[in-house]
Amino acid sequence: MRTVLVVDDEFGVPELLEFVLQEEGYRVVTAANGRQGLQRLAEDPRPDLVLLDYMMPVLNGPGMLHAMREGAYKFIPVVFMSSLDEDAVRRAAEQEFQAFLRKPFKLTELVGIVRRLLPE
Amino acid sequence: MNQTDHDPRRLTDMPTGVPGLDVVLRGGFLSGGVYIVQGSPGAGKTILANQICFHHARHGGRALYTTVLAESHDRLLQHMASLGFVDAGVIPESLRYVSAFRELEEAGLPGLINLLRREVLRQQVSLLVLDGWLAVSDGTPSDVSLRKFVHELQVFTALQGCVVLLLTSNVRRDYRPEYTMVDGLLTLEDVRHLGWRQRELEVLKFRGKSFLRGRHAFRITGEGVRIYPRLEALLPLTPESDVPTSRLSLGIESMDNLLHGGLPTASTTIVVGASGSGKTTLALHFLSCASDAEPGLLFGFFETPRLLMANARTLGLDLAGQVDAGLVELNWHSPTEQILDDIGNQLLDAITRRNVKRLAVDGLDGLVEAAGPPDRVSRFFAAISNECRARGVTMLLTAEAANFVGPTVTLPIEGISAIVDNLILMRFVETRARLHRVMSVLKLRGSNFDRSLREFEITDHGIDVLEALADPDVAENAPDIRIGASPANSPVRRRQNREPG
Repeated sequence: MRTVLVVDDEFGVPELLEFVLQEEGYRVVTAANGRQGLQRLAEDPRPDLVLLDYMMPVLNGPGMLHAMREGAYKFIPVVFMSSLDEDAVRRAAEQEFQAFLRKPFKLTELVGIVRRLLPE
Repeated sequence: MNQTDHDPRRLTDMPTGVPGLDVVLRGGFLSGGVYIVQGSPGAGKTILANQICFHHARHGGRALYTTVLAESHDRLLQHMASLGFVDAGVIPESLRYVSAFRELEEAGLPGLINLLRREVLRQQVSLLVLDGWLAVSDGTPSDVSLRKFVHELQVFTALQGCVVLLLTSNVRRDYRPEYTMVDGLLTLEDVRHLGWRQRELEVLKFRGKSFLRGRHAFRITGEGVRIYPRLEALLPLTPESDVPTSRLSLGIESMDNLLHGGLPTASTTIVVGASGSGKTTLALHFLSCASDAEPGLLFGFFETPRLLMANARTLGLDLAGQVDAGLVELNWHSPTEQILDDIGNQLLDAITRRNVKRLAVDGLDGLVEAAGPPDRVSRFFAAISNECRARGVTMLLTAEAANFVGPTVTLPIEGISAIVDNLILMRFVETRARLHRVMSVLKLRGSNFDRSLREFEITDHGIDVLEALADPDVAENAPDIRIGASPANSPVRRRQNREPG
């Protein structure tokens, strides 16, 4: 079973995405900020995909992405989620990420991206 | 509304299809919003919510009606089977009924939220009703878990674009924490008005757009719920129209002379008088001048069309012929329990339908009696009067004076003398064991007029205004009059043949 890590501080969002992705057959782990997200990446089983919020306390999305790409998680696909537009996020992130979801997004859109990045 | 077309970044209106409600909500509920609909048992919540569901399902949406009460959906549908909006053909494909009673009992709020998520996602539901919210909130151990549930529901439905209606019979005034979280709050009430009851809907909160404030009356008929938006809230403030310069004949030359040429076009006139003093007769004269260019409408509350036509015939007025020729429409309403805004809408519709220019509203006091809350009647009439003025309609209202014996004339609606442009008083004066009909013009906005007290007779050719009082004692016996309590109508002492001031 493929594992998705959802990193988002907004109450209700990780819970909802966990429910939706579990219904689609994925294993889901959640974190409320970038630092917690990095800790989850070190756990077993290692997540196959990260859904990453932009604005979070402690360590924000670009910070976590930077730490991932500088460390041992260079090749884990990342999907950024933000209410900012994609260009602004790409400029701020300074690192490559695989997909972008503009908040609020359709749940079907999310599921479609996850399926594309984690083919069976 | 197709769920797959939903763009969560754009808030769109989801029409309810309930007559009048989309006017109150200025288009409907907003996609992704969570709304509480509250009202005591029997207030109409279940019918309203089902009507919205059926409309939604018939127009391409998918609805889910969830109950957390231990009641049978079959029984629910049986009770509604006779209502016109029920269309069994949309069940279960586009409208499904699900019980969450067991889920809530066994797994609590986490179980309930998961059930709702699962059903909404599986069916691509765009309208979700949760009936029995009070049972959910009362059965929840803490406000925190309830707020958590509402928030999770909001996050989910906002992304799905699904409208949620939480139905609750909570009518307490101590609003619960979730009331501050939801996007809107609608209340349904059965309000007592002096011995009779009227159903009323009020939107207390609606995020994201404006709505029609105040209490709107509604009925539950065989077709379901119909809401009558408050006309004074609905009618736009019309720009100030030009002061009318043209005049419209009352159909009696001598009366036109009293008014220095007739009634100002697009003005509102009230004719107040004792029972039998000739108010309706004056209205019939006014309508006798109706033509293709000036279509007439008699909107009445007491005398039926048949009686009016018979009375007109005795006055030498061919009302029946005018009706047959399409020059005049007789629109009669029983002065029993009515909804003021329903009457107002029917009046405006009748004006629009035939581009009416001469309007007689006969028996204003009947309307007032029928209308329920008396505190809004003057505001209602101000709105109707403004609308008529903007449409170039010249309106003549007749009303019975409450106490026509004695020196004080009380108008049937408080404050109406300030609303109307013109005021004509008709009354009886008794001298030498004989009753005399007398009339006087008390107000003619923006114009001079003859201020003398004039005696008149009603003959087989209608109203005949006499040049002089037949009996000089009439003037001495006519009591000083005071109109209502309005400062605009300070005591008026009229003397025969007084010069216009």
